[in-house]
Amino acid sequence: MNKTILKALIGLIVLAALLAVPRYVDSPYALHMMILLFLSVSQGQSWNILGGYAGQHSVGHAAYFGVGAYTTMMLMHAKQVVPWVGVWAGMAAVVVVALIIGSICFRLRGPYFVLASIAVAEIMRLSAINLTTLTNGAEGILATEIPAFKIGETVVTEFLTKVPFYYIGLFLALLTIAVTYWVQHSKLGYYFQAIREDQDAAHSLGIHIAVYKNIGLVISAVLTSLAGSFYGIYVGFVDPPTVLGLDVSVQIMLICIIGGMGTLWGPVLGSLILVPLSEALRSNMITDLLVKIGLVSVDSKVGVFLKENLAHAHVLLYGILVVLVILFMPDGLMGFVKKLAARRHREAV
Amino acid sequence: MAILEIKNVSKFFGGLAANSNVSFSVEEGTIMGLIGPNGAGKTTLFNCITGYYPPSKGEVLFDGRRMNGLQPDKVCKLGMVRTWQKVRPLAKLSVVDNVMVGALARTSSLKTAREMAMEQLKVVRMEHRADFLAGGLPIGERKKLEVARALATQPKLLLLDEVMGGLNPAESEEIIGLILDIKKHGLTQMVIEHDMKAIMRISDRIVVLTSGEKLTEGTPQEVVSNQDVIDAYLGESHA
Repeated sequence: MNKTILKALIGLIVLAALLAVPRYVDSPYALHMMILLFLSVSQGQSWNILGGYAGQHSVGHAAYFGVGAYTTMMLMHAKQVVPWVGVWAGMAAVVVVALIIGSICFRLRGPYFVLASIAVAEIMRLSAINLTTLTNGAEGILATEIPAFKIGETVVTEFLTKVPFYYIGLFLALLTIAVTYWVQHSKLGYYFQAIREDQDAAHSLGIHIAVYKNIGLVISAVLTSLAGSFYGIYVGFVDPPTVLGLDVSVQIMLICIIGGMGTLWGPVLGSLILVPLSEALRSNMITDLLVKIGLVSVDSKVGVFLKENLAHAHVLLYGILVVLVILFMPDGLMGFVKKLAARRHREAV
Repeated sequence: MAILEIKNVSKFFGGLAANSNVSFSVEEGTIMGLIGPNGAGKTTLFNCITGYYPPSKGEVLFDGRRMNGLQPDKVCKLGMVRTWQKVRPLAKLSVVDNVMVGALARTSSLKTAREMAMEQLKVVRMEHRADFLAGGLPIGERKKLEVARALATQPKLLLLDEVMGGLNPAESEEIIGLILDIKKHGLTQMVIEHDMKAIMRISDRIVVLTSGEKLTEGTPQEVVSNQDVIDAYLGESHA
């Protein structure tokens, strides 16, 4: 069968299955995991456009995630603005922030850009802590009541179950994948990659470096802000460390680093690994598994030790995994898969 | 008509004059050779012409237009493009994608850019390499890729920085053929080269730089018989 038709067919089947999930799955926990997965895909994919394609490794994407989340939440909390409207304000705010950051940080290259991007995100976090009249400071904003979206008297959306979040999350993930696909297959993608591979050569070939870096940043930041708004509304709570902290930035990057930077499916793959893994580590599933297969008994010293400590060590295990991937698969999982495919191809020839 | 005029260009790095008071002009459709010992300021001059450095003094006129202070991307759009002494392939892109990046300076359509790129790959006889990763090419082909990518931006003036450096005689011969082919199509070129035999064959005129200053300028014959050039650069055997 034709390869493109096969790919399209698989895509359609997966899409149909994803659309059907809420009809057949009632478990809020399962839906919650899927929503986290979609969120992760959209975060990773957004970062991928700037970090993976254009090679500008921002470690400050929490700034865009947090500003999007905060703007939507502040409007909802203080003025009862419907999230459908609030996200646009979030995106507008993020464009302003991104252009300011871009005009300053893109004068720097390589590690200096990375440091500047961290600094900017930290400034955002500290501002959120200290601008208490706007952001409620370190206490954060709690807004679990989402105003229903009405046109006239008809209620268009209410957010009473997880199902609408599921579909919005799915849409967001698909949107970011579509945008990445579009970038990859346009002049932008070529220019981004040229800048990533060799900035001076790119400059000599007629590419206005600052303009294209800023275009990449704005696309990336706007998508990240959408993910941020979605997160804020879904969880119903934002505070500086959870949406503006350095670990948010690192988390966003890791999705791409593990999955494969500058590839269309890398962030999807990365999310498929990281989301279940971090959930399994957090909820102590590993100890349960070890107990179940009879390697350790619950009452033994080891069992008790693991039960008490493994959940707390999830960040450590997570770190070890990252180190292993970077050591053995420097191009991420997609790079690894491609390399295997190329090897098989060579052997076949 | 002179397509490029360099008027009293100087470039200082701190107290060091990498170029001082260099003036010459390049006629349309010709090949200008630029030679000089290491550190004579040849590449610095290229950088001043193509916008990587602003000249400290003097001016660069291209097509009658003052180029001082224009950025490299603008210089490229106006029709002047350079290759790099130390080749700069976009390593993780395929050969044809590399050349497409050049072609995209003139079009926004990927389809047109791909056609333009394949055309240039034909010129450098690398069509069969189109889908290879640029990072995996041997040096000879990397140099040709530089030329193809630069040509794809459809320049009026092509500046080649030691495009034969590090090549074996057969590969150099191929590049010489390529440069002469490009000239036949009416494209003006300026060439930095160390290989004297090669530069003598391809150049219509030659400028000699030493310690940042222009030593002399003339046809290849005039240059090799100039006593100053012999003393400064060529040594006894060419006398």
